[in-house]
Amino acid sequence: MEDHEGKKILVIQTHGVDTPTRTYSPLYYAVAAAAMDMEVMVWFTMNGTNQLKKGEAEKVSLVPESGVTLKSMLEMAMDNEVQLRVCQQSLTLWDMTPEDLIDGVEILGATSIIDLALEYDHVMYF
Amino acid sequence: MAHEKINDCVVFTNLYYSVPDNTWVRVNDDDTVTIGMTDVAQSLAGPILHAKAKSVGTQRKKGRPIATVESGKWVGPVKSPVSGEIIAVNESLGGNAQLVNRSPYNEGWIIKMKPEDLAADLAELLTGDAAVEAYRAKIQADGVTCTHIEGTDEY
Repeated sequence: MEDHEGKKILVIQTHGVDTPTRTYSPLYYAVAAAAMDMEVMVWFTMNGTNQLKKGEAEKVSLVPESGVTLKSMLEMAMDNEVQLRVCQQSLTLWDMTPEDLIDGVEILGATSIIDLALEYDHVMYF
Repeated sequence: MAHEKINDCVVFTNLYYSVPDNTWVRVNDDDTVTIGMTDVAQSLAGPILHAKAKSVGTQRKKGRPIATVESGKWVGPVKSPVSGEIIAVNESLGGNAQLVNRSPYNEGWIIKMKPEDLAADLAELLTGDAAVEAYRAKIQADGVTCTHIEGTDEY
């Protein structure tokens, strides 16, 4: 199989703490791609934004009896240099301010997502 | 072979370790090296579902990934503790990745490599009592207890 090292993957996550089973795999794929030496960004928008509010992700248990929570998955992503970005406009949907965000998340506007989607080698949408 | 057990985690004193990356290096008679995950690493990962190594012929710098390992709760790179060229990958892991859990230091090896400058790389790794003490500190600090699935090598 061809080695895809160095490729760029953009993961768009639209699901949040209200649907825990839809939050695990996108982050898992993102970390897997990073572990394969790809450049990876996860873009949180719509409902996906609410998992980035301080104090929320740790409430969401993902893998029973393993201690894996949504917070630990977000931390694993950051430990593997996955870039986490959130949509500026979607913050207002959840009445969130930049100060509400967990550390390590950068805010970008809608035009950036368009640029990124065109620039990256592949976009995965969840 | 001489080894220590710390919280059930096996550390062989004849291997070289990158403690931060939880990898080991065995120096072979022909000056190639065999590289794998430590007992601590396999325990933290849990039952491994897939282990995919880079291809034979790949040149790797120390610290870059030589394989990607997936369990049900964890996914991450195996970072190379030495620089060089991959000369063999453990094909057995393709159909039975849990060899890494069962036999992390023997049958569950990940790759073999022809090092660029082995002496320089080994000088930055830990072996013998220094490795044991470093692992003792890490295991205690992180609260790790190693777990061994059915059929694990007896050390």
